[in-house]
Amino acid sequence: MAKARAVLKRLKAVKNIRKITRTMELIATARFKKAMDRATEAAAYTRKIAELASDLSASASGFSHPLLEPHESLKTGVLLVLTSNRGLCGGYNASVLKLLQQRLRDASSKGQHLSLEVSGKRGLNFCRFSRIDLDQQYTQFEDKPGFDEVNEIASRYIDLYVQRKIDFVDVVYVRFESASRQRAILETLLPLSTAAGDSGKAAKASSPIEYEFLPSAREILEELLPAAFKARLFKCFLDAAVSEQIFRRVAMKSATENAGEMIGDLSRIYNRARQSQITSELSEIIGGAEALA
Amino acid sequence: MSSKQLRLVVVTPETTLLDEPVDALRFPLFDGQIGVLPSRAPVVGRLGFGELKISVGSSTRSYFVDGGFVQVKGDVVSLLTQRAIPASQINVSDAEAELRSASERHPTSEADFVAKARDQERARNLIATAKSV
Repeated sequence: MAKARAVLKRLKAVKNIRKITRTMELIATARFKKAMDRATEAAAYTRKIAELASDLSASASGFSHPLLEPHESLKTGVLLVLTSNRGLCGGYNASVLKLLQQRLRDASSKGQHLSLEVSGKRGLNFCRFSRIDLDQQYTQFEDKPGFDEVNEIASRYIDLYVQRKIDFVDVVYVRFESASRQRAILETLLPLSTAAGDSGKAAKASSPIEYEFLPSAREILEELLPAAFKARLFKCFLDAAVSEQIFRRVAMKSATENAGEMIGDLSRIYNRARQSQITSELSEIIGGAEALA
Repeated sequence: MSSKQLRLVVVTPETTLLDEPVDALRFPLFDGQIGVLPSRAPVVGRLGFGELKISVGSSTRSYFVDGGFVQVKGDVVSLLTQRAIPASQINVSDAEAELRSASERHPTSEADFVAKARDQERARNLIATAKSV
């Protein structure tokens, strides 16, 4: 009797877990759709900035800007790490933190000084556990990062970079490549590689239009570069948010499937235990009746 | 009036705020107002802070645009701005507080002077836009 009851208890627990993971899967799916919509809407801005940048740089040749110039020595820099606030999202945080450790080892072998900034409770806990010193921590970025918050961080980086207090800005995050493909990557945002970024090259192919520039192309470009950097940093945050939801959905989906399998196994064990109990009780009764007769 | 219309696209980093046909537009550039009518020559410019006035037919609407860039290409006018607030939703008392705090600053360096003047102008234009409705 004891065994059947113990199995029943586990069975109930697993059924509850399945309900929870199924619900989390559905929530993650809904959040993913929302985050995805935000990311596609924001992409319009980034695309437009890139288009402008390539138009402008065509007419302002030989243009240089502090954000475009790499510093001679790469001694100090900022490493921004984007993790999630919540767990239960499979290998999402682990993949980011693995890259972080790699980068830290790399930096110490090169003698670079990294000031580490971590967003997300998961990453913060990891750093506390492995006694890594942090310079900034953010926990306010949930699945809907706002531009104003990112703007603040980006402006600080720009100031530091222009004042030559830092030589580079690296970001570790999970990039959203497609719905079925997200990868943790390390990206160097500053110095800006090109004004236009990767997407600018495609825009350049189209026939040039004779624009009137108000004020000169140079002056517009000077303002445009910080905006381009901000848009790229914002995109990192949005990508991270989208990827997190996808990872969570996948993790919860397989958890639900596993729970279903476990329920099958457990109910089989339970039925067998119950049957053998009934059989043994029956044979006891028959045995007792025979002894009395 | 010509039958041609402009297509106005206002994008902020978070979303595409407007994408609609309009008859005429007026918005601030870095050094003053500019008006755009259909068939304007292509232009790329830097925006200032101030009122974006959209006319469709006989009705007009206004927004506050917070710096950014403009691109006129064919009949498409794209405004890229950090923020665009409908004039009716501007919080005047917040803007006035901003103006006061900007005016009370004592700048010491060239960059601070520029920043102070910019913040003052921004706040003044914000208030002006709110009151124009």
